[in-house]
Amino acid sequence: MKNSNAIILLLSLLLLSCSRAYDVRPSGEGTFRPAAVFPDYREVTVPCNIAPLNFYYTDAGGSRFVTRFSCDGLSYTLRGRDAVWKEKAWKKLLEAAKGSDIQVVSSYRTASGPVSFQWSVHVSADPIDGYLTYRLIEPGFEVWDDLEILERNLENFDTRAISDWRNTGNKCMNCHIHSQGRGDLSMFYIRGEGGGAILNRGGALRKLTLRDSAMISSTVYGEIHPGGRWGVFSTNKIIPAMHSAAFKRMEVYDSASDLCVADFDGNRMLTFPAYAREDVFETFPVFSADGNSVYYCASGAARLPVGLEQMRYSLVRVPFDPETGELGGPADTLWSGPAHHASVCHPKASPDGRWLLFTVAGYGTFPINHRECDLYLMDLATGEAFPLDEVNSDKSDTYHSWSSSSKWFVFASKRGDGLYGKPYFIHVAPDGSTTKPFLLPQRDPHFYDNMLRSFNVPDLGDAPVGFDAVETGRILRDVPSEQFD
Amino acid sequence: MKARRIIGIAIAVLALAAGASQVWFFLRYPYFRRYAAMNGVSLRQARKAWGHPSDISEVAMGLAVEASLENWDAVEALAAEDRKSELGTYYYNLSNAVKGQLPDRLLDYYQPFERGLFLPVGEKTQPFVIACAGDVWWTLGYMPLAERDAMLGMLFSPAHTGSRYLRRLAETNLVKGDYEAASKYLGMLLNSRADRKWAQERFPDAWNPEYRRRIEDMRALMPQFDMVHGMDQAQLVLRMLLTANSSNRMALDYLLCNDLLTKDIDAFVADYNPSLTDSHLYDEAMLIFLAAKGGVNRENLEHYHIPAGTLERFNRFVLIYKQDGGAMKNLTEEFGKSYWYYFYFAQRNEKQ
Repeated sequence: MKNSNAIILLLSLLLLSCSRAYDVRPSGEGTFRPAAVFPDYREVTVPCNIAPLNFYYTDAGGSRFVTRFSCDGLSYTLRGRDAVWKEKAWKKLLEAAKGSDIQVVSSYRTASGPVSFQWSVHVSADPIDGYLTYRLIEPGFEVWDDLEILERNLENFDTRAISDWRNTGNKCMNCHIHSQGRGDLSMFYIRGEGGGAILNRGGALRKLTLRDSAMISSTVYGEIHPGGRWGVFSTNKIIPAMHSAAFKRMEVYDSASDLCVADFDGNRMLTFPAYAREDVFETFPVFSADGNSVYYCASGAARLPVGLEQMRYSLVRVPFDPETGELGGPADTLWSGPAHHASVCHPKASPDGRWLLFTVAGYGTFPINHRECDLYLMDLATGEAFPLDEVNSDKSDTYHSWSSSSKWFVFASKRGDGLYGKPYFIHVAPDGSTTKPFLLPQRDPHFYDNMLRSFNVPDLGDAPVGFDAVETGRILRDVPSEQFD
Repeated sequence: MKARRIIGIAIAVLALAAGASQVWFFLRYPYFRRYAAMNGVSLRQARKAWGHPSDISEVAMGLAVEASLENWDAVEALAAEDRKSELGTYYYNLSNAVKGQLPDRLLDYYQPFERGLFLPVGEKTQPFVIACAGDVWWTLGYMPLAERDAMLGMLFSPAHTGSRYLRRLAETNLVKGDYEAASKYLGMLLNSRADRKWAQERFPDAWNPEYRRRIEDMRALMPQFDMVHGMDQAQLVLRMLLTANSSNRMALDYLLCNDLLTKDIDAFVADYNPSLTDSHLYDEAMLIFLAAKGGVNRENLEHYHIPAGTLERFNRFVLIYKQDGGAMKNLTEEFGKSYWYYFYFAQRNEKQ
């Protein structure tokens, strides 16, 4: 009987070892040479309220992995290739390390001998907004299936849908954005018949048709005014296309684009001849932190798609009147695209008014598909702009969003495989210095290896939005869209 | 006790029947099972996604499975069983193109205009069709569209993954030299026992000389220049492939056959170079052009390598055509597989 038990145990172990995920990535000519741990949390700075940093060792030939974490007299040891935390223990360590470093010693065995290395994680005393919304989408060119917008609690691994295909009849939906990181002020779009812009003000949802006869399309990119009454938007005729070159994939460009303002209280659209010229394309408008200006990107028109590489957008600021919703006055070019032989996209003002974060690509208006695009930070006090060298990678880095404290931002990066956007977080010091990006932690450290969807437009919120996917579905089905004139 | 025995026997009979039914299913629909496996779904999930298999769907899935394995003789055999579907024609044409006989055998088979050469990819296209649309681009050597269609095939597949798509995505990126992207998919395939060996052999440091040569051959087909183009500009893409590599005979035949199936004779004449490819199909098409332009003379016939016998047949076709006032009845038997017959009588299905 003892023998048969032993055989069963042996067989069970054998089965377990067979079914374990084969997570080895061989190195070799041109292949992806992974860091020693993935996600690479070595020497990163994390907020004092972040979820456990679970990771795994990538050395295929390693065994008997041991990881020791210590800080301020506290010590924890995790054994195994996968270093996965119990949430309570992690929180205790994080609390002890607040404002200081967690020291880590990694050790394991290989055929050529033991391996050991030390590293640290700095725990910033600055917390990050607790919620992150993002759209999960497969690289889909012109089509989509099973879209969803999720809200993740950054302090643990809880995730919930705020809009999904189940409740919307598999409709196309565009990304969710907060106003200055506020969970009670946000919006997103559901496209197609019965859809509209879904505006969340204090948890009350409205469905809006943000279009009038003077506009070239429905509203596309934009932002809600900090006061909540206004929205500034671009209207864009968007053309999807493809590159023949090996290292470029999809291209998306505008064949026309203008600016407009929505009055959410008066249900009216404000359009402006100065921002509806055929010879100038305007896009990506956002409000300044105080709500008295609008930043946007502008380029002279070109013959498209032949002249696409000549489409270099500049960063422009114009006054905005929060009393009337009027956009206009002397425009100020803050960063010239043509002068830098580059194109600015997605400006985002920090809520404290100190910084402007934007993407710089070689040309055009769709940086997520441009591997050369990088993040730049502008000091609005001096007008100086500089690339975030410590943050940028050799792949697309864009779709950034500030936390309400202005001390953190998140962005989507295609670093690594170049195909799937993943959310990385950065701490910004008062002098504008930044830290090594760290990847959104997941319960399963292999999560990203098997992920075939992009985290699209990750956006930080200081509180959960007051609705869920069921409520969104109800609004979509049962509530008529409010028309804007 | 007796009742328990009866129940036991009944359960055993039911289990046997279920087992037999499963065996029967596997024997009757082997491609359904293989296609489901390639999509990473169980048979139950497969039935839910694609409905209960039928003889028609079995042929379609067989075409998709065998083409992905590049078993072109099997593709040809399955195409012979197909009942005039665009998918059947698409794979019939592809298998002939691989063997260098696309134009020669084009009109031996049902041809729904250009839709038998390139499958449409759009919002209204069936997911199964989208999943097959990239096979022609992969074979022609145009990685951007091969990758796009693999992505879309995966997007619309029941599990949003599957070795069918992951393998193609890995290989398109290997051909492009994007090893980081390829590693993403190869890494995922390592997790599957069925795909592990295949994936291990495709990491660049594990390539054998034969596979390395195959990748290099495919790279030689790729445009090295960059051009932005629309999603459905097949002609433009074929011309790009020919600009990149004028010896890409398959791209040339697809371009010429596309011209002919869309009855764009002027485009055909502009694209045709008799020193690069030849076929009785092209001779027949040139005669239509030359006759219309009053250019049927010895010089042109020699330049386009048109045999005297083909001219004689053309004259006979024209004679009967005129005698019958443009009716097809006396032409079908003798000329039903000629380009002249297609050019004058083939009509586009309004539903297309």
